[in-house]
Amino acid sequence: MRLLLDTGESFRIAVGAVMANKARGALTMLGIIIGIVAVTMTLAASNGMQQSFRQAAGSIGADVIYVSRMPWITINDFFTFRNRPNISLQEADKLVEAFAGVAVVNPTMSGRQPLKYRSQVLQDVTIVGTSEKMPIISGQVPEDGRFLLAFDVRFRKNVAIIGKDVADNLFPSADPINKTISIGRYRYRVIGVMEKQGGNTFGGPNLDMQVFIPITSFVKSFGGRRNTNVDVAVKAGSIAAMENLEYEIIGEMRRIRQLRPAEDDNFSINKLDSLMGAFNSVFGAVLGIGLLVTSIALIVGGIGVMNIMFVSVTERTREIGIRKAIGARRRSILMQFLFESTLICVLGGLLGIGLSMLLTLAVNAAGAFTASLSLGIMLSAVFVSALVGIIAGLVPAYKGANFAPIDALRYE
Amino acid sequence: MDSHVDASTGNEVLLQLRDIVRTYEMGSELVHALCGISLDICRNEYVAVMGPSGSGKSTLMNIIGCLDIPTSGDYSLAGEKVADKNESELADIRNRLIGFVFQTFNLLPRANILHNVELPLIYGGIARAERRHRAEQALERVGLKDRLTHRPNELSGGQCQRVAIARALVRNPSIILADEPTGNLDSKTGDDIMGMLDDLHAGGQTVILVTHEDDVAAHAQRVLCLRDGQVESDVMNVDESVLRNARAG
Ligand SMILES: Nc1ncnc2c1ncn2[C@@H]1O[C@H](COP(=O)(O)OP(=O)(O)OP(=O)(O)O)[C@@H](O)[C@H]1O
Ligand SMILES: [Mg+2]
Repeated sequence: MRLLLDTGESFRIAVGAVMANKARGALTMLGIIIGIVAVTMTLAASNGMQQSFRQAAGSIGADVIYVSRMPWITINDFFTFRNRPNISLQEADKLVEAFAGVAVVNPTMSGRQPLKYRSQVLQDVTIVGTSEKMPIISGQVPEDGRFLLAFDVRFRKNVAIIGKDVADNLFPSADPINKTISIGRYRYRVIGVMEKQGGNTFGGPNLDMQVFIPITSFVKSFGGRRNTNVDVAVKAGSIAAMENLEYEIIGEMRRIRQLRPAEDDNFSINKLDSLMGAFNSVFGAVLGIGLLVTSIALIVGGIGVMNIMFVSVTERTREIGIRKAIGARRRSILMQFLFESTLICVLGGLLGIGLSMLLTLAVNAAGAFTASLSLGIMLSAVFVSALVGIIAGLVPAYKGANFAPIDALRYE
Repeated sequence: MDSHVDASTGNEVLLQLRDIVRTYEMGSELVHALCGISLDICRNEYVAVMGPSGSGKSTLMNIIGCLDIPTSGDYSLAGEKVADKNESELADIRNRLIGFVFQTFNLLPRANILHNVELPLIYGGIARAERRHRAEQALERVGLKDRLTHRPNELSGGQCQRVAIARALVRNPSIILADEPTGNLDSKTGDDIMGMLDDLHAGGQTVILVTHEDDVAAHAQRVLCLRDGQVESDVMNVDESVLRNARAG
């Protein structure tokens, strides 16, 4: 009860103190505002980038397991993977069979080829050999025409579904459907145009510059002995099912390749998860450095608050004496000043958050990069500014709380 | 409570000071403000402390009020040794047992007078409704019930001192300590203030006041004279005439 009343009184005094020195408080707050804006904008920018990454990685599918020759992320042991055999189309077919009725399995191959329609040439387009199941895995569907059918795959049809950017570049005015294009030296008929994917904000692959053809036709047209390397995607159906499925896939692959128990896997299992993990660790390092730099601004702001708090304590020496003479404990005085510094900082923090919101809108409108201010960031900003307030107020508050009552009373 | 009893009167001894010494260090020099004060003050006594400027009156009051700690010597308040108390226990004693009235009022300038009077109740943990009721009552006792929302700078000196008295009595402490309460007031206003202290004494409180004026001291039952940090004389003036004689003589 007593603590509660003490706290109430301390808070009242703190509000009074800030209100009594509005100009001074505002100037002090400015430092905190700048610091909080710097920190929240760093977080918002990184958050925005993370979101674009997620969007770009969306076609990978969170519940999809990829069986490939190489891991997606190789840090420094590339040479141990170099001698691995390619995954052949036969092996991929065995996987398809093994999981028939259990999971959707889609093999893909890809390579780069020039694209030609009449006099229009597009260099270096990613040609993806795949099956009719691809839309189930990646969620990418055609906006026009149709995607592959099992029929196309089984009979090695020379049909292609082109990405949105390919369509716009190759057919600026004409309707691409049923036109015949050249992929490398081979002629394919366009049967569909994919929806726009976007999300290649930071140098990732442009998903709209792809062309999809039946994997069997891919092997027929471009499959030399060397580059028949297949990636197999297996859709688990749910994140929860992934772990078991992964073990089953590994087991099945080892059986297909007849690996002895002592032998290591000579293939890799890849997931969006592991890609995100690698991205996050790189990203975390960059973010950490950014925060380190911007938090200097916040520290400078905090020092400003500490400075003002020393002034405030000195100004109120006599008041401290009076309060102590009538029974205020050290703790009450301590709280009074801690509340004051925290109040200044939290108000500054809130204003900083408001400013960051405006800045985020401005940045996104300018389109340089996307910033995203999440609720989590805003709450952390409030928390951090309160923390700065407490830290900045601690030493001055201790000084005030430890005044001997009689000296404080006599202070002029 | 380990209460002592005065041998001659049979009254409970509230304050017991033994060989109280207070020295201040001024650079390399030592200032002896109190050099060995021993005295007992009983419950409901009315004591005036007199003596020339610099004789240590305020220093003594501060030690009695637990605002200051003696350099050496023993001080017991209501049977308990003050030296054994920690900081928050001392704050508690100041809050519960002692009411201060200062020469310069020492009100909080930014708070209204109701809040000033409520302050000891806040630090004493009294709930809001009762706090307000008691503060209003105290202000009524000093005749300021209609000024609750005024700030100290809107009041006269006498009114400020009355607020200070209301603040001192609001927790109904055992001891009222008044260091030159009339020092900044004209004699008419001073008389009002002294009347209030007399009432507090009549109501059972122990009143100790510092003064330079004989007619103020005349309100007390006992007059303690300090000189150079020591007790020069300690006389009872049960009868007003004793003091008058002393003054004449
Ligand atoms: N904080 C201090 N530092 C140094 N010396 C002090 C301090 N407080 C008091 N003194 C000295 O102690 C002595 C007693 O001071 P005190 O204030 O008790 O006198 P007083 O009797 O109240 O005087 P007055 O009637 O003028 O109020 C004086 O010599 C004074 O200079
Ligand atoms: Mg004095």
